[in-house]
Amino acid sequence: MAITKKPFAALAAAALAVSLAACGGGDDGDDNNSPGGSDGAAAKGGTAIFFNGPRNTEHWDPQRMYIGRDLNNSGRLFYRSLVAYPASNDPTEGTTPIPDLATDTGTTEDGGKTWTFTIRDDVKWEDGKNITCEDFKYGASRNFATDVIIGGPANYLFTYLDIPNGDDGLPQYKGPYSKEGQELFDKAVTCDGQTITYRMKKPWPDMPQAAASLRFLDPYRQDLDKGDANNFVIISNGPYKLDGEWTEGTGGTFVRNENWDESTDPIRKALPDQWEFREGDEDEAIYDQMFADSGDAQFGVTERRIPPTFYDRIPEVEDRYTQVESPYVDYVLPNFNSPVFKDLACREALKLATNKAAWIQAGGGEKAFTPAYSVVNPSVPGYRENPAFADIPDEGDPDAAKAKLEECSAPKPVKIKFTYSGGTPTSDNQAAALKESWDAAGFETELDPLEDTYYSVIQKPDADFDVTWGGWGADWPSIGTVIPPLFDSRINLTGSSNGNDYGNYRGGPEVDKMIDDAYAEADLDAAADLWAEVDAKLGEDVAYIPLEITIFNFLHGSKVTGYANNVSVNGYADLAVIGVEN
Amino acid sequence: MIAYVVRRLFAGVILLVVMSIVTFALFFASPINPADFSCGKNCSAEQKEQVSRALGFEDSWVTQWGKFAKGVFVGRDFPDDPELRKTAPETIAHCPAPCLGYSRERTSTVTDLIKDTLPVSLSIAVVAFFFWIVGGVLLGVTAALRRGTIVDRGLVGISLVLYAFPTFFIGLLLYKFVAVQWGWVDVPRYTTIEDGGISGWLSGLLLPGITLAVFFMAGYVRMTRAYVLESFSEDYVRTARAKGLPKRTVTFKHALRAALTPIVTMAGLDFAGLMGGAIITESVFNYPGLGKLAVLANSDFDLPTLVGLVILLATFVIIANIIVDLLYAVIDPRVRLS
Amino acid sequence: MDTITPTTTPTSAATPGTGPFLSVEDLRVHFPTSDGVVKATDGLTFKLERGTTLGIVGESGSGKSVSSSAILGLHRGSSAQVSGRIVLDGVDLLSLSDEEMRLRRGKEVSMIFQDPLSAMHPYFTVGNQIAEAYRVHNKVSKKVAKARAVEMLDRVGIPQPDRRVDDYPHQFSGGMRQRAMIAMGLINNPGLLIADEPTTALDVTVQAQILDLLQDLQREFDSAVIIITHDLGVVAEMADDVLVMYAGRAVEYGPAKELLTHPEMPYTWGLLSSVPDVKGDTDARLIPIPGNPPSLLNPPSGCPFHPRCAHRDKVPGDLCWTERPELLQGSRGPSHLKACHLANPDEIYRKEVLVEIAPELAEEL
Repeated sequence: MAITKKPFAALAAAALAVSLAACGGGDDGDDNNSPGGSDGAAAKGGTAIFFNGPRNTEHWDPQRMYIGRDLNNSGRLFYRSLVAYPASNDPTEGTTPIPDLATDTGTTEDGGKTWTFTIRDDVKWEDGKNITCEDFKYGASRNFATDVIIGGPANYLFTYLDIPNGDDGLPQYKGPYSKEGQELFDKAVTCDGQTITYRMKKPWPDMPQAAASLRFLDPYRQDLDKGDANNFVIISNGPYKLDGEWTEGTGGTFVRNENWDESTDPIRKALPDQWEFREGDEDEAIYDQMFADSGDAQFGVTERRIPPTFYDRIPEVEDRYTQVESPYVDYVLPNFNSPVFKDLACREALKLATNKAAWIQAGGGEKAFTPAYSVVNPSVPGYRENPAFADIPDEGDPDAAKAKLEECSAPKPVKIKFTYSGGTPTSDNQAAALKESWDAAGFETELDPLEDTYYSVIQKPDADFDVTWGGWGADWPSIGTVIPPLFDSRINLTGSSNGNDYGNYRGGPEVDKMIDDAYAEADLDAAADLWAEVDAKLGEDVAYIPLEITIFNFLHGSKVTGYANNVSVNGYADLAVIGVEN
Repeated sequence: MIAYVVRRLFAGVILLVVMSIVTFALFFASPINPADFSCGKNCSAEQKEQVSRALGFEDSWVTQWGKFAKGVFVGRDFPDDPELRKTAPETIAHCPAPCLGYSRERTSTVTDLIKDTLPVSLSIAVVAFFFWIVGGVLLGVTAALRRGTIVDRGLVGISLVLYAFPTFFIGLLLYKFVAVQWGWVDVPRYTTIEDGGISGWLSGLLLPGITLAVFFMAGYVRMTRAYVLESFSEDYVRTARAKGLPKRTVTFKHALRAALTPIVTMAGLDFAGLMGGAIITESVFNYPGLGKLAVLANSDFDLPTLVGLVILLATFVIIANIIVDLLYAVIDPRVRLS
Repeated sequence: MDTITPTTTPTSAATPGTGPFLSVEDLRVHFPTSDGVVKATDGLTFKLERGTTLGIVGESGSGKSVSSSAILGLHRGSSAQVSGRIVLDGVDLLSLSDEEMRLRRGKEVSMIFQDPLSAMHPYFTVGNQIAEAYRVHNKVSKKVAKARAVEMLDRVGIPQPDRRVDDYPHQFSGGMRQRAMIAMGLINNPGLLIADEPTTALDVTVQAQILDLLQDLQREFDSAVIIITHDLGVVAEMADDVLVMYAGRAVEYGPAKELLTHPEMPYTWGLLSSVPDVKGDTDARLIPIPGNPPSLLNPPSGCPFHPRCAHRDKVPGDLCWTERPELLQGSRGPSHLKACHLANPDEIYRKEVLVEIAPELAEEL
């Protein structure tokens, strides 16, 4: 058998995609790449095509989804949630949840420790059954079946929901299949008629954001639950339902769900009669058709980005081209376990030496990236440029870096190893650009591209790299889904793994307390200030060095109407409002 | 003859057993934890451990191979958890014998995955096989019969060029120009005979079939040419000429018959190899066949699917080998099956 | 054959229609290659009558087989350049069209090859292949052709021919295969049979049987036979005339008995010296010819044999290096031609060669 691709080849790309969870908001319009749109009349009918791309949808089970594309599309077409974001590109409006299946946006009287939602009476599943409070409770309970419901953002409920942990570090409730610890869950989540109450062990002020961005709090039908076998089964409560089966690698067709009542839904316009999801095409294949605007592609939209090789053809299709800033940030991390970078002066020298402009140039230029000045994406509410990085030129400051390196305790020349996710010409060129800037400041950089084993290696606490690479996007528009997952040593560092804290950063009591305080702040604006302080501290410690923010370049078909890249769906195409000409 | 086939099949089964063991062993020798792929981001170490257990990767590979082998004969339940069988039997998937495993990644038994993907690969292979055998052999014979002429040089040159082009390049060219730019054919999409009829099925297969055929055809032109030329220098062909047989008879009855024997062998084995070897073509045209499945399974470390595919493709090759040998015995009276 | 009576003389003139049965004149077969022209046969002339046998002798690569293939027209369709004249029964074969030549092939001239295993198609039965040779020149049904094949197999001494006719070549022994080849060659009763090393690949015991068979059949069919061999024993037994070839040319030509007893060319001496004497004369020495056959691409200057010739110093001056000797009458009369500069070959042979290889004969003479 000839298997030519290496295992994990997809992982480099997945590094971004893994962080594809919801985000948005805060985009204060400083990018002039405002999302384009065709302003056709909002006529119903026709078949729209969504090119799902080469990366297969792994789960359609709402509790297992964790990929931004799937979270967005399912939320716009067939999974309604307690609350949802309106279809808007206004940075505030587009990231402020409004009631969806619930009658309100949730109420809490104790600063986020108890959340209550009331479910509408007039909403139905695709088979005509009413959506009940119990369905929501059952949906939430599925997150705890860690042996069946794998892959989703279950850890948020593990962290917040008021269920004690067992010796294994996991909640004592084991989910609805084994029912072990069921009484604990029944206490934490209760139904009173159509009113559901979630009880937390610590305040969760932005829980509605989580409910709107992710699908893990969506309702689920206990009577139809077949566990893992339901991975690709879609039990719709939105305007479309799956026609027949979903075929992995090929896709599926969504048709109108007659049991969806437009009057109950303020968000979804549901213009096309059908949505055809086409899976497995390579980016080049999709964009060959998109640029030629041939056949079905006239009705097509996609979340795949235009490959750089097509950039020079963009002027031909300006009216169908849109450009938006992505919700991700890429950065490099000094390894705090390395003999060199345990010394702050050495880290500062690296920071000053880093030429992010060269990195961007090597990666495709300004169409592909824009410089970043924090690990937090500017679209996240409360974003500030990190003062530690704001004043350094994008090209770096080699002279200052050289001077700083004099203070570095490591023997000169300072030999460092840069381990990165390599294997493509672009990633290798980018790494070489960084090496050049570091070496110019007096480092002696060894490049260590890893392909298959990248994550396995850098997640090992005793790995011998000095610098590595990472990328991240917020799960929902809150810095609380950026900084703690990346730098809270308490949740990341264990004996066998550093989690997402690849640089093995250990903030200590001071930082831990700052994080806890920011989490505990019920007022989201006040919390944003506290997070900014945490970020500033990370900058002082040089826990990371921000590089850039990916820019999305999209094209859509000529017969697509109402095309919009909304912040409510992280800048992707908003399928809630898109239609096609008949 | 039956004894021969039985003996060969038995040897084939042993080979399959060995290959499945090797696949398991190699998989577990890798430093990569399959749970990394399933667990999602923000996955704590504890969760990862749980996932690993749920995927069945906690057992030693020997135990897991044992379970796999048993499943082939008696079927298996996934997950095979007596507790769960009591509390939530509806969540257990049964995989009837012969069970090649259950892919958690794809939420399907491997047997079902193969059922879905095999017809696609088979279709491409059949169409490609047709083009490459007809084209390759005819052109190869033509080149040999016109040896040294411009026709010969042209054919040999073109086939050398085509042979040198990577398959994905030819595929992309066809895709880009024939389908997208010029619109001569629809953008190829796999259509079953049930859905599209023979013509729908065939029109979808035209470009992938040609893409795949081009590479093989180029090789077969050169190979056929070489074998035919070689056979022309055989003593028995000289005898045939010395008898006064017309050129046609000499060429087609005496020379080609002998020349084509090794080509039959090659074609049989290539066809079997093609079943899983059309990876690039299937990827370029996004055809959900075995090759594409293999790539996906490989990229997300889907052991059950990989093992199933290894077994399946090895079976093809083994069976093709036996058929080719039987065929050989039919063609060449000197060959004795023993 | 008890008596050898030369019926042709190399010097007699050929008259069209009334001339000898086969007359080859100045036959040249040249193969152009990227390195130059390979002159495999370069001016060969001989004659042959019905009922008689010509033996062509020489080392591998001397042009024996190439010349005989040229008589069958087997070089047609290849890059070989064939010139000269090959007159068979009054018709110049080289002037015929490809199709006319094909119709004569296997019918008027046929050929038996050295290795009967490789010369028969492995995928077809013996009977099929023999019948095919018959049907191509006779409009008969397959059944009739097969009956004729059985008849021929019987004639060449295959036991149970009606059963063996359906066997494949690999099921025959080497001798039987050669018998079958002979049956195939003679099935159309050709006037000329060319046997290219017919016994080389066979066991010694079988060799004699095959030669006997050939002689019998020759008498029966009154064919002219060319037997190509490097084995002088075969020549002595079979041939009326002998033609010794070296580097694509005839270097000695004459009646077999005459030539074998009084060879006049050192190359022929060499061939005789390398024949082991089975009668077991322990005094006799086997003297191989030193060196290798010459390149046909770049033949040596002068006498092509001179680099290997032990007697070249007996020729005055550097004649052997500079001038190629013509094939001319020697000291033994008009029927014995030789191409050699030596003035007194008979004497040298007797005094220097024969004493080495057959001392008792040397004394007799």
